[in-house]
Amino acid sequence: MIPAGLSLEQAPPIDVPLRFFLTAPWFLVLAAALMAWQGPAIFVSRWLPATLALTHLLVLGFMAQVMLGALLQMLPVVVGVVVPRPRLTATLVHLPLTLGALALAVAFLSGVPVWFQAAWWSLGLGFGVALTAIHLALWRAPVIGGTVIALRCALAALLVAVVLGLLLGGFFGWGWRLPVVTVTHLHAAWGLIGWTALLVVGVAYQVVPMFQITPPYPAWFVRGFAPLMAALLVAWTGFAFGGLAMAATLTSAALAGGVALFALTTLHLLGQRRRKIGDPTLVYWRASMVSLLIGAALWSLGLGIPALGRLPQFELLLGILPIFGFAVAVINGMLYKIVPFLAWFHLQALLFQRAKVPTMKQLLPDAAIRRQFWAYLAALLTLLAAAVHPAVFTYPAALAAGVTGAWLGFNLAGVWRIYRRTLRQANP
Amino acid sequence: MSEPDTSEILVDGRGLAPPEPMEQVLAALGQLKPGQRVRFLIHRQPYPLYDILRRYRYRYETVAVADGSYEILISGP
Repeated sequence: MIPAGLSLEQAPPIDVPLRFFLTAPWFLVLAAALMAWQGPAIFVSRWLPATLALTHLLVLGFMAQVMLGALLQMLPVVVGVVVPRPRLTATLVHLPLTLGALALAVAFLSGVPVWFQAAWWSLGLGFGVALTAIHLALWRAPVIGGTVIALRCALAALLVAVVLGLLLGGFFGWGWRLPVVTVTHLHAAWGLIGWTALLVVGVAYQVVPMFQITPPYPAWFVRGFAPLMAALLVAWTGFAFGGLAMAATLTSAALAGGVALFALTTLHLLGQRRRKIGDPTLVYWRASMVSLLIGAALWSLGLGIPALGRLPQFELLLGILPIFGFAVAVINGMLYKIVPFLAWFHLQALLFQRAKVPTMKQLLPDAAIRRQFWAYLAALLTLLAAAVHPAVFTYPAALAAGVTGAWLGFNLAGVWRIYRRTLRQANP
Repeated sequence: MSEPDTSEILVDGRGLAPPEPMEQVLAALGQLKPGQRVRFLIHRQPYPLYDILRRYRYRYETVAVADGSYEILISGP
């Protein structure tokens, strides 16, 4: 029997998710170029316009790009629901998101309101379409497991992060009146903890046991973690707007503890994997979880010692660890699972029993994955060093970030090249 | 558990990392003789496989097993 509610339509065409995945790495290169152009001044404070431009090239151009593309791809595969009109939806998300990320970077760098207005409309459209399409699919999911619960929490958090971001965009673009510092803190927390971390959590439930051959996450964790974190974020938001400083501090300490718990649980599971020689993406997961853990520890430290928490270098580290450490590492590793699988799967579907299909390892050799990791690690470490000693480390960090981004981009484009060549050879 | 049966090719993909289960089941379909079918054991719903089966007009039946895995019986087009 086919389970009730399971759609019989096909998985989305390969270009639907791939356009996101092939675009994203070049935003890392763009971010690196911005660092090289601005020089050490970019690491003076997280609040500088150029630093905000850099941050949004990473979180919108790279992170949101891949995360939304992966959701559009994942929902049919993991949850069994189909996103309506996949090609049109993908275009209406990918194009405005890409242009909006660029416009927002230009807006911060130039300070011209019309660029903020352009970014506002563009990002509003892209995220609006993505949220609508993915929400519709997720609430129709035939199976409600831990992953669907976590994805729903992540999607709700994305909605909050986007609304707060649009409010801030209104402040810069049209001069709306709002408590900018509080809204910025909440925007970052909903974006990084609510949307990014909870999406990674929901995906990790599936892919860590699947690809790294580990035991599953504990059942209580799978059911309860994401809703608890979402509830803490709601409480924190209330306390922050209500001016209850002590309660807000305690809630953020609980959030930091929750994030650390996820990192520790995942590292523990990775240590229990059944294969001696780990999957080539194992190092990306480890680097990601270690960054998350250190980020959570520093965050707690800053809450306990407010004078430390207010240091510009400290604030920069608290941005680099979750963004370039946690999120970029895990996304980089996941891209190496998703893109070759997509190419392999679509080739199988198109050429089944007519032509030989390259294996996933032929589409993307393990060695390429392992080598790029060293470039990534160099970029992460020099970035962290640049936050503390910008004069010495900004240019090495820019170089390493550019290399790792371009290397990722070429590796993924290589899969696409083999895909096209295999199809051409089979259909002369 | 299934008995040894020449009318059936058994593919046990449980606990294997993707895409190995799908590779094995597609290879088994390639060897399928008329009247034979593939019995595919897998620890999760293989939604992408269904796409390929439908595209090439295989007939299949999915049964959820009590231990949380799935048993899929596939016969030729």
